[in-house]
Amino acid sequence: MAKNNFSNRVLSYFTKPSNVIVVAFLIILLSCIVYPLYSVLNLSLTVGQMDSLMYNSLFGLHLKKGDFSLLNITMLMFGKFEKDYSISFFWSPLWNSIRMSVYASAIAVLVGGIVAWLITRSDIKYKKFISAVFVFPYIMPSWTLALVWKNVFANSQVGTGVVGMLESLTGICVPSWFVYGIFPCSLVMGIHYAPFAYILIGGILRNMDANLEEAATILKADRWRIIRKVTLPIVMPALISTVLLVFSSTMASYAVPVFVGSPGNFYVLSTMLRALYSSSYSGQSYVMTLVLVLIGVGMLSLNQAVIGKRKSFTTVTGKSGQVSYVKLKGNTVISVIMVVLLFFMAIFPIFSFALESLCEVQGDYSTLTLKFWLSRDPISGFHIAVGEGILFNPAIWKALGGSLLLSLVVSLVVGTSGFLIGYGVSKKRGSRAATLLSNVAFFPYLIPSMAFGSIFLAVSTKLLFLRGTFFLLVLVASIKYLPFASRSGTSAMMQLSGEIEEAAIIVGAPWITRMTKILFPIQKSSFISGYLLPFVSCIRELSLFVLLTTSGTLITTLLSYFDERNVVQMSNGINLLIVLIVLIVNFTTNKLTGASIDKGIGGN
Amino acid sequence: MPEILLKNVTKKWGGFTAVENLNLEIEDGAFITLLGPSGCGKTTTLRMIAGLETPSSGEIQIGGKVVFSSEQGINISAAKRDIGFLFQNYALWPHMTVYQNIAFGLETLKWKKPDIEKRVAEMLETLQITQFAHRYPSELSGGQQQRVAIARTLAPSPKVLFMDEPLSNLDAKLRGEMRTELKRLHADTGSTFVYVTHDQLEAMTMATKICLMKEGVLQQYDPPLKVYSLPANRFVADFVGNPTMNFIPALVKKTSDKVAQVTMLGEKFDFVSETPFDIAEGEATVGIRPEYLPISDKGEIHGTAYSTLPAGMETTVKIKVGDTILSSVMFGSLDYATDSDLRFTITGNMILLFDRNEKCSAHGTMVKHK
Repeated sequence: MAKNNFSNRVLSYFTKPSNVIVVAFLIILLSCIVYPLYSVLNLSLTVGQMDSLMYNSLFGLHLKKGDFSLLNITMLMFGKFEKDYSISFFWSPLWNSIRMSVYASAIAVLVGGIVAWLITRSDIKYKKFISAVFVFPYIMPSWTLALVWKNVFANSQVGTGVVGMLESLTGICVPSWFVYGIFPCSLVMGIHYAPFAYILIGGILRNMDANLEEAATILKADRWRIIRKVTLPIVMPALISTVLLVFSSTMASYAVPVFVGSPGNFYVLSTMLRALYSSSYSGQSYVMTLVLVLIGVGMLSLNQAVIGKRKSFTTVTGKSGQVSYVKLKGNTVISVIMVVLLFFMAIFPIFSFALESLCEVQGDYSTLTLKFWLSRDPISGFHIAVGEGILFNPAIWKALGGSLLLSLVVSLVVGTSGFLIGYGVSKKRGSRAATLLSNVAFFPYLIPSMAFGSIFLAVSTKLLFLRGTFFLLVLVASIKYLPFASRSGTSAMMQLSGEIEEAAIIVGAPWITRMTKILFPIQKSSFISGYLLPFVSCIRELSLFVLLTTSGTLITTLLSYFDERNVVQMSNGINLLIVLIVLIVNFTTNKLTGASIDKGIGGN
Repeated sequence: MPEILLKNVTKKWGGFTAVENLNLEIEDGAFITLLGPSGCGKTTTLRMIAGLETPSSGEIQIGGKVVFSSEQGINISAAKRDIGFLFQNYALWPHMTVYQNIAFGLETLKWKKPDIEKRVAEMLETLQITQFAHRYPSELSGGQQQRVAIARTLAPSPKVLFMDEPLSNLDAKLRGEMRTELKRLHADTGSTFVYVTHDQLEAMTMATKICLMKEGVLQQYDPPLKVYSLPANRFVADFVGNPTMNFIPALVKKTSDKVAQVTMLGEKFDFVSETPFDIAEGEATVGIRPEYLPISDKGEIHGTAYSTLPAGMETTVKIKVGDTILSSVMFGSLDYATDSDLRFTITGNMILLFDRNEKCSAHGTMVKHK
């Protein structure tokens, strides 16, 4: 009797679609996170091919590949061999990662925050142009600016000796630290994430009641005191989350340090991880993965701890519609400076790629040629086989097709999952399962892409049927991009009152009809944004996939292949292709449906 | 001292005119309400006087000092106008405690710490919120937040206090209490209050003078009872008073300089004013407040009870006469069976005559032809 009662309760629990969704996603996500983490832990205690050779020769052991050992950890953290092994392979990259992330977060929040303030609070000119173009660097692949940096500042005195635009036009050779190393890495990452900070901070500023600042004005506080005492403390939670998100992202970034770090012997954790892995020091590379994961988790905990509850926002509906803009002194000058800066951040890169892909001799603009685009015969003169011009190169088309297909599938999976998770969480709001689901769905954000790729590589070494498959790429990308989709899906669903769906239940509409005919259309632009962001992120992704697939599968891995081998015309051309695709997809979707990257992140 | 003067103040946003050519004089110590339907420009007017909004043209003076003049290029910032402002949504700073919220303005003025403590304690006492001093706004109810906002505004003792629908987020009972207290505060502080509301009852009960606006244009600026009994036009008459004034279509014809013959409700009347007036012959509108249509067995006009709405203290009776529905308000509880016959009279000398342009032409008595 009691048992019957229990099974009845279980049955009735699962007749509600929201319960099914919450439980199903919890199971899928937990298994996709817990099992991989277990694998990494396991593999970090297992020696790889080169690991074993190294330990054996150092300590006179007889370890074989696959044996259990704590040496991976002790070697990497404390080992002294050929001077200071642990310092050059672990502590120094870690220190570099941290420094780079700190600088980049500072730059991103400062630049993004100032632009957000200018757009929402001041009477700066060309607002539409600025807010539209300022998000370009975020929409474009992160290495875009790194590549531009190289295109402009590389010179015959440093690195590979490729001649950049500055030298070829003026003859000036900037010093090595300016071209490669922590300076360009931090700057480029900072500018790449500035729009992200702008979207988050701008969203808060737009939602923040302007009366809060006016109340201080009336009480005779000056502009600076208002910003310091009122505006900043109120946006502080958003500011801190932004810093932490940017910090985690920068920690994880691989492409930028590869482009403008490694050539100057500047290594960070992610680039070192890759280097160790590809030289078969797999045990040590997994230790590094673990460290990256721990840093990510630490960031989340910090985020939760910092955002106190007591001072939370009191949202009283008011008419903050009447915002009076701050009059800028020297408005025109500031506006023009902004536009010029934007030109270099957002528009110039596109020209630069086009130009570089047209140079027969790198940096020599008298040798313009269309052959890297149009040649129907294999291009010669490089130490590797380059193949035909970009537009007629079957390998490039295959990689591009692969990227497009992958992005499409991933965006469908992620967008739909985000919508469903949003539905489940909003229906069950307040329940423990819903809170757990929304946290678990956000968790992958904290695991750096490179570590994430490495985790799933570990999984595929156990589950061999996954190894190198398209399915593995879809799985990895879907989980990695779920955080923002589930976040924006949840916030969009939360804005709908339960009565909207109940009205449809009463007239007898089945669940599928309620979803497709009622809920989805009402918040169409938000939900479509949930599809757009993963598509854009996926097509420009490199670090997530670089360990999991061969260079010919995806357009980004192919780009990296050409760049690492110094075939800059091809890498620039391919980059131009990616940037254009991303921009076109973004703007057509935006025009057709009102969806936008901002909404995908959860801004307004 | 702090008399406020608005001269030809206009505010435009693109092609939209929010406030048009407004002239207003607010006496020292007055309690003025800016009244009107939403979008009439009352909040914009208030924000312009406070300095939160810049007029497109005109001049504003506070206490004899020009704070804004488009001609002289003067625009003194809100911070330097020596005013207090109470926002509709209170605008309490969520990251500061009640104490810090109230002390903020005093700290800005560089008061000494003991003085600040004393003043804040005084304000907390006055508004009966001492026990909440160390709470955050999110931990207070709407009414308590409202009190904190008032304390914060009053702490630096502003000579002029602006309020933008400060009671609209409170429930009906609390709103009633706060009205009483605000009126009391006005008397205690002796400051000039300028108060924006769309609630005519609030304006009627609290103000010394009502400034009624419509679509950015001033309609009438008079004490509440004058606005009530002698509205300048049909819009004002309609906006003030609940239940609203009866507007009865009529035909008029002047018979002498103080008398006109009025045909309405299928009957003929003589409209008699105490002063001479002008009105064009033909269509016009007669305006009668519901309290001037008492129902009695001796009433000379016949109608039927359309519906009866007793509220305890008074009863609103909707009377059907021909195609016209009239409202009558009677003291006490009454109940008439639906569609039953009844009789009523037109009493008093405050019956209004509106001309074709809806302007009020005269007030007087309405005498039915025998």
